[in-house]
Amino acid sequence: MERRDFIKIAGGTFLAGSACAYAFRFLTASNIDGLIVENLTTGRKYGMVIDLTKCIPGCTACVEACHNENNVIHSGDKRWDIHWLRKVTIENKLSPEVGKKEVLLLCNHCDKPPCAQVCPVQATYKRHDGIVIVDHHRCIGCRYCVIACPYNARMFNFKSEEEWHNKDHPKRSHGVAEACTLCAHRLDKDQPPACVEACRNVGTGAIVVGDLNDPRSEISKLVESRAVKRLKEDLGTDPKVHYIGL
Amino acid sequence: MDIKFESIEGNSIPYMVMMSAFALMAVVGLITTFFIIEKGLWVTGMTNRVPWGLQIVMAVYYIGLSAGSLVISGLYGVFGKQEYKPFARIAVYLAMLFLIAGLLSILTDQGRMDRVFVEPFVYFNLRSMFSINPILYIGHILICVIYLWALFTEKRKLTTIVATTAFGWAFCVHSGTGAIFGFGARVLYESPLLPASFVAAAMASGTALMILMIVGLFKVTNRHVDDGLIIWLGRFLAVCLLVVVYFLMVENLYRAYVVELRSAAMYYLFGGIHSILFWFGLLLVGCFIPMFLLFRRKTGKQIRWIVLASALVVFGVLCERYVIVIPGLTHAPEIIAGMEIVQSPIDEGVANYSISILEILQALGVLGVIGFLFGFGLKYLKLLPDEARIYERAVPAVANIRKDESGVAVGK
Amino acid sequence: MFDLNKIKEKAYLIAALAAVVVILIPIGYSIVTNLFAGPPQPRPFLEMPDEKYKECVRETEFMRQHHWELLRTIREEVVRYGKRTDININKCRECHVSREGFCNRCHNSVNLYPDCFGCHYYPEPSEMAEKMRKSGDKAILFGQSIERLPDLSGE
Repeated sequence: MERRDFIKIAGGTFLAGSACAYAFRFLTASNIDGLIVENLTTGRKYGMVIDLTKCIPGCTACVEACHNENNVIHSGDKRWDIHWLRKVTIENKLSPEVGKKEVLLLCNHCDKPPCAQVCPVQATYKRHDGIVIVDHHRCIGCRYCVIACPYNARMFNFKSEEEWHNKDHPKRSHGVAEACTLCAHRLDKDQPPACVEACRNVGTGAIVVGDLNDPRSEISKLVESRAVKRLKEDLGTDPKVHYIGL
Repeated sequence: MDIKFESIEGNSIPYMVMMSAFALMAVVGLITTFFIIEKGLWVTGMTNRVPWGLQIVMAVYYIGLSAGSLVISGLYGVFGKQEYKPFARIAVYLAMLFLIAGLLSILTDQGRMDRVFVEPFVYFNLRSMFSINPILYIGHILICVIYLWALFTEKRKLTTIVATTAFGWAFCVHSGTGAIFGFGARVLYESPLLPASFVAAAMASGTALMILMIVGLFKVTNRHVDDGLIIWLGRFLAVCLLVVVYFLMVENLYRAYVVELRSAAMYYLFGGIHSILFWFGLLLVGCFIPMFLLFRRKTGKQIRWIVLASALVVFGVLCERYVIVIPGLTHAPEIIAGMEIVQSPIDEGVANYSISILEILQALGVLGVIGFLFGFGLKYLKLLPDEARIYERAVPAVANIRKDESGVAVGK
Repeated sequence: MFDLNKIKEKAYLIAALAAVVVILIPIGYSIVTNLFAGPPQPRPFLEMPDEKYKECVRETEFMRQHHWELLRTIREEVVRYGKRTDININKCRECHVSREGFCNRCHNSVNLYPDCFGCHYYPEPSEMAEKMRKSGDKAILFGQSIERLPDLSGE
């Protein structure tokens, strides 16, 4: 065979193969009868209000509930531990004498999420109801979203853990990124997220999750009537986690 | 003025030793990668605060090194300097290899390497720099293949067209690589200057590597190269370094001047190991000493000084890549305005990162793969010209040097 | 131009060797192992749920061929659109108690190992039996008696 022919045939086969591989997705993506993937527009926009004036210092009920519900396991190493919800102590840089304060930090479910913008495979995306969520089936583990998040709220599964608290809910293998999902699996069933439930059980009720688009909801009234603050509003990411008394 | 291209014999002991060393490195890198896949990425020493490590540094460094072909094809294909034609093949081949190395580094850095081959192409995200860049890299590799084919078959018109395309495409490649960081949300990344400064640094490192490769290969294989060619490349390298320094100066002065970025600038310039790399590795060793050597009339015309300067630049640009990638991550973002986080279950504040053995092994593995491919190409492809001379009708101004000084006779 | 003959001499030899290693050795291995495998294995069969549950969520034939597409579509809907219906991967395990008897037997015979259950939980049959013992649902889980369950995992 001539070299020219060889190159032609090899190149042609390669191109055809690539085309087939690309077409395969569309050929097999036929919808199963009755189950049509559609973008549901419920008109909801979930948000969260954290009332720090009610929050009990030292109480970590919400954090524990969150991590039990979502199978977030800690091995005790700060470098690789995953925290969907974390309680930090802050201090004013200029006037430390004001005193320390405890704040809950979590994924802010931004309306314009930088993490979703940079994801090369659209594994991180914003749901129709405003929840920013990771498709762990698709994530390739490039960690660009971890870097893009201005709130340090995203973590990467450097290790895979054997432990499994809540067997009704999946855990994650190592090599994918993750963050708070606002307990989307519970919200879809009209249950409150685990942290909200735990906070209520403690008797505090400092965390409120609800529909920001619904003017009658508890969260809308709180946002209307109280002085709420959001983190890094100047970035224009439009976060949906609001703090009272920050 | 036809140039005869040859392949090397490839039966000598040093060649065999080199090839086995590269093969060994590749195998070690492969084993390391499998170990990391099995255990998870935590063994590499990357953490949640510093999720990008040496592999990304090496990836952008390799992509930068591929710019040697940008320079040569720009000189030969776009500006029609025929005397650089002898280096075209080796430059394009090296560019292809370094792009492959960059892609391999990115690939071995992913958490789920099994998904890398399908998902990024099926679920392409046009808004993500990380999605656009692999397309640019793969496109450049394909252009390099066509370019090589055109060069090997001596198709003049096609060569000119492809050289021009490759020239433009390479600009996109290096700007895109800079945009991965420049368009990011971190304080020390965010900068519209970064894509441009990436192009400048890439051209500097690519030219330096081309000088090293040309001088080294021609010396080892007993071929003749006119000093004038190398000296001109040396001048070009010096100009590139000047541009690099200018961009660094503008960027850091801006950060130091704007009040809200001042603490970040202080961290960048005086905040730890990366500052030492910035001042001594990048600025002193990587820019000022080579610039001094290259601009100085006496040393700028002697091949050994140019080679020394090039080696320093290749090292300096590696430092540059490091001080772009790592400090941007270790620098603590201010999550709550005006507040300092004093106690937290994760590492807030300034994070620590140290390069681990496994990352070095992986990087060496990538180097082994492309080194092996390079040796293979030298043996089986006609990459090297029999000689590289300046022709009478196209003498560049810098070639008018005193010929008795260089030690090698110029011209026949 | 290439020196074609020289490339042929050496590169083709290497390529041929690589082809032998990459292609022929696995083929040869499978042929040899088949020769010494003994009597042919019976076709893999799946554990059937109770007679009265003849139909899964779709017809049996459809499920055999397209269960993965169904699962993938559901996955897409749940993960990306939050549309959680009655059909989900947790429901599968309520009828098909044993993963060993239900998924693995067929998948193993065609050498297909989808990695669903590294992250999703599929209880062991004994565990399911224990759960039922506790809940008092004693006799039967969709036709499979508790006594029968443990020896599925023993196979």
